[in-house]
Amino acid sequence: MNNFLRFRITFQTIKDHQRVTIIITLLFIAMAAMYCGMYPAFKDVLADMAESGGMEAFSSFFGPAAADMATYVGFVNLELYQIFWMVILGILIGFVSASLISKEIEGKTIDLLMSNPISRKQIVFEKFLGLIPLVLIINFATMLTVVGVTVAIGEDLSFYNLFLTHLASIAYFLAIISIGLLISVIIDEKMKASIFFIVILMGMYVLESISKIIPDYESIGYVSITHYFVSYDTLKLGKFDIAGALVLICITVVCLIISMIYFEHRDIEVT
Amino acid sequence: MNVIETNNLTKYYGKIKGVEDLTFSVKKGEIFGFLGPNGAGKTTTIRTLLGYLYPTRGTANIFGKNIEENIVEIKREVAYIPGDLNLYGHLTGKQFLDYFASLRNREMVLLDELLTTFEVPLERKIKGYSKGMKQKIGIIQAFMDDPDMVIMDEPTAGLDPLLQQKFYDFLKKQKKKGKTLFFSSHILSEVDKVCDRVGIIRNGNLVALEDVDNLKVKRGKIIRLRIKEKPENFKGPKDMKIKDGWIHFIAKDDIDKWIKKFSKYTIIDCEIHDFSLEDIFIHYYEGET
Repeated sequence: MNNFLRFRITFQTIKDHQRVTIIITLLFIAMAAMYCGMYPAFKDVLADMAESGGMEAFSSFFGPAAADMATYVGFVNLELYQIFWMVILGILIGFVSASLISKEIEGKTIDLLMSNPISRKQIVFEKFLGLIPLVLIINFATMLTVVGVTVAIGEDLSFYNLFLTHLASIAYFLAIISIGLLISVIIDEKMKASIFFIVILMGMYVLESISKIIPDYESIGYVSITHYFVSYDTLKLGKFDIAGALVLICITVVCLIISMIYFEHRDIEVT
Repeated sequence: MNVIETNNLTKYYGKIKGVEDLTFSVKKGEIFGFLGPNGAGKTTTIRTLLGYLYPTRGTANIFGKNIEENIVEIKREVAYIPGDLNLYGHLTGKQFLDYFASLRNREMVLLDELLTTFEVPLERKIKGYSKGMKQKIGIIQAFMDDPDMVIMDEPTAGLDPLLQQKFYDFLKKQKKKGKTLFFSSHILSEVDKVCDRVGIIRNGNLVALEDVDNLKVKRGKIIRLRIKEKPENFKGPKDMKIKDGWIHFIAKDDIDKWIKKFSKYTIIDCEIHDFSLEDIFIHYYEGET
């Protein structure tokens, strides 16, 4: 059988990330349960705050979604999705993907891996595929948790919108994996690569925030991947941003192709 | 038939020379020893041949295929034991071998034999392996699917003498089956034991390429001598050298004749020893310049 279709490196990558998948999944189940479950306790306080106009300080940074924080959807969106999901999970997944190749180079295991009859392009591609289950599992588990807790506390949330939000998340996290992967084929030390990824993601996040606050700078938000996934619009209004998802998929494909070409043509040095 | 053919193969790391203008060939079915001191360019040569590094200029073919165009095809028939062997510590020996067997995707015809010869604790995680165990599993993964050629970068480092011997015997057996073995070393005695032909590399350049038997003929005893008389008066062989008051020459024939000659002088100090690898390097190095 052709080696190209066997995906052995993908399977190994999945196995290698079993533990981290379980840990992050449990973390996000706990986070989702906590934030959704916390809402009833904050409901009245938040309503008072909203009436007295106390939300404006938030909305200048977190956008119009923050003004809606007193509602269940608005609260879950801001606390869980905009902060923990997009930023924290983005960092965690990027951290893992930025070490995909750099870990093998730093640990010098790449020498043995590449001694097999497999092209470098395929190694990069298979490693990319190997992280997709992690994204899917975390998405699915978090979604189920939100559904479960919402039903348990008797709050109102469109599960269809929730599904769309998680669907759009997949494109967002694929883009994150591919950006991390690109860094990991360029930078040989996994810590440096992972930190570099965080700097880039935070940089993008800050740029997008600036673009929202200062009217003249609206266009700089386009460079940020967070611009193409607005959880509030999907979760509250059921608007699935197809154009945004396409941009994220394009980013994924472009980063993946550049990673494969770059890795194919670089020297693998051992020091 | 030549299985490796290089033509002016050159690798520079930026401005730093790795290897330069290497032209040599390795014949099918031979054990080729690639000798050189640390930092001479052995690993650079091997890593360039195997496509880890791209040559700055020059070309190389392995099994008639160009290394820059067909490296994946080449690796179907060529296995590699890296010098700085690093394994996946989180896998057990068995998991690691299974993973690599699945990547090779063909029958592991030698696996059982190798596991008997080079015992490793298969159920233990590799991070708990000793240096010798790691080296053994490096050998096993390279040979398990019986490839036509194995390129080895100092493969006996970390093996005890008993295992080294087992390894040499195994290499000879593979050679009898028509397999080609390319191995780098800086230990002359092991090259002596197993290799048919050697290439000697120094400062990135190939300084010698010949049969081990020829190399042995060139050896002899190195004699260093200090006498009370003027050293210039000593009647030594033509290639005798005098340095810092020491008379220095190589006795290619019987040393008895020389000892008898010494008795005519007043000896202050005298050293007679076998050729070390370093001596051979110096010998070739001086020959080059």
